[in-house]
Amino acid sequence: MESVFVRYRNLLVLLAMLVAQIIGLAVQVRRSEAGHNSIDTHDGPGVRLIRLWAESTVEKPERLIHNSKLGLFNLWQGYLDLHNVHRQNQDLQKTIDRLRLEQASMLEDARQGQRLQALLDFQQKYIYKTQAAQAIGSSGTDQSRIFYIDKGADYKLEPDMAVITAEGIVGKVREVFPHTAQVLAVNDQTSGAGVILETTRTRGILRGNAVGQTQIVGMLADQRIQPGEKVLTAGGDQIFPRGLPVGVVEKVVRDPERDSFIDVIVKPAAHLERLDEVLVITSTQNRFSDEQLQDLATSDALKGAEVAAIKEQQKAAQQMAERLPGLADPNAPPPVAPADGSTPVPPPATVPAKPPIALHSDRFSPGAAVTPVVAPAPLVEPVKPEPTATKRPVTTSGIPHPVKSPAPAGAAVKKTVSPGTQPNTQRRNP
Amino acid sequence: MSVLTANTRRDLEIHRYPVLVYAMTPLIALVLQAWLPRVVGRYVWFDLPLVVTVYFALGRRSPIQGTILGGALGLFEDALTHHAIGINGIAKTIAGFMAASVGVRIDVENHTIRLALNFLLSLLCSGIYLFIYRFLLGMDLEWNWLTELMKGVGNSVIALILFPLLDRTQIRD
Repeated sequence: MESVFVRYRNLLVLLAMLVAQIIGLAVQVRRSEAGHNSIDTHDGPGVRLIRLWAESTVEKPERLIHNSKLGLFNLWQGYLDLHNVHRQNQDLQKTIDRLRLEQASMLEDARQGQRLQALLDFQQKYIYKTQAAQAIGSSGTDQSRIFYIDKGADYKLEPDMAVITAEGIVGKVREVFPHTAQVLAVNDQTSGAGVILETTRTRGILRGNAVGQTQIVGMLADQRIQPGEKVLTAGGDQIFPRGLPVGVVEKVVRDPERDSFIDVIVKPAAHLERLDEVLVITSTQNRFSDEQLQDLATSDALKGAEVAAIKEQQKAAQQMAERLPGLADPNAPPPVAPADGSTPVPPPATVPAKPPIALHSDRFSPGAAVTPVVAPAPLVEPVKPEPTATKRPVTTSGIPHPVKSPAPAGAAVKKTVSPGTQPNTQRRNP
Repeated sequence: MSVLTANTRRDLEIHRYPVLVYAMTPLIALVLQAWLPRVVGRYVWFDLPLVVTVYFALGRRSPIQGTILGGALGLFEDALTHHAIGINGIAKTIAGFMAASVGVRIDVENHTIRLALNFLLSLLCSGIYLFIYRFLLGMDLEWNWLTELMKGVGNSVIALILFPLLDRTQIRD
């Protein structure tokens, strides 16, 4: 008996290892009522302990490498930034100024939207609090799009918290360890995020495929979905707040398994392959955060009066435009800006080449010798019945716009010339 | 044929290494495997723990050691993913066992053999992984064989560079 063990000890060790691991796998897999096998979303205590050991082993070296790289990068970047910091500051100040103006102008709309949402009993979730974190490691395999961040339970992170960047969504927290957390990226095959297409308002579920692309699966074929359309979070998955950018539609492909369905390949807004700093949404509320409210108040205080003045000017200009007859043809194509970016040159005003014909000509009148005396033209042209297709548009105030003319903008200026100054043949032509 | 067959005493020699090399090489491989994908992005065409497993299994010529080392590194890799722990473990257990079993019979100093062995064992690991996921566990998994082929090539190239470096750390009589 002993000789059998000695003789086949290699095979016996192999079998023992395999059997132990197969039993371990069997413990981790669950069979659903629908008959599908799946792995638990959250690990059991034993599995979690193994993951914790593994993560603790690689965490310290990863942090060391990451911090060294970051330190060197910051040193070099800091040196380079010094050259451009003044100009960048000025640019940023201009951007802040512009954004404050925009924010103040949208403030009233936002308040109205919130009031309407409250009336409709619709609770919009706003990002209330975030925690910045650094991505320090990954799973090491493309079968599992997992990465690790340097914040964990010590920063009160919890599973199923959304992870984003300024560009767009990234993933969700899957497992939290004492000093790190495991994040499941949106381009993993097992991830799922509710999304909506911005223009067509079509909803779907976003997940990853074998090559790490993000795609919206199980959508009915729709001709309206075109590349370039923006994709946003739908907010129905209870993880990502509504309206966060996801990416843009890259292409639409037919579902290989179902004929009437399509897969929409999405180019993610966030750089999922090269993540450095991410934000974990630790809290969402039905109202704006204190910081956001403070920011809104600042914008309103600084730019509110300016916005009100601009709106008043716009309103007055609009009223004037409605009351006055237009000089330019509203149907005429807009002036094309030159390629060099300079301001477009307006069309030259029409200058009469000859002096106007006198109503009562005598021998001193120019051209009297050759120009026959014509009957004076009526000051007001007789109104002719117009075809229904060219009816004058009526503004909201009841004042009709001038007749639309297919003539170019230069011709519109000619109409302002006194009727008697033009030959009758021109005036009689409609 | 004499190149391929281990018929001399030197060919059958069991390589020995300092304890530090035994301990640090797998650990460095695991850390780099977890960190490098952040640098190379989607081109994760290598599996350093597998390369290290193959190297020590070939060098030590012990199926038991190859099995245990492969199993341990595979389990460690599984623990860093969100998949079930044991899939990579089983794949690398078999790879370690096979590498050591082959190492007993052939000349493992030959570069061509090392290259071919790494490529084949890499594909074997991928096949076992897919088999376990789809058939043993009965779960859906999209698969891209082109990536696995590239991974096999990547492992071979890394082995071509890494093996001679590790050979220098051998303890020679």
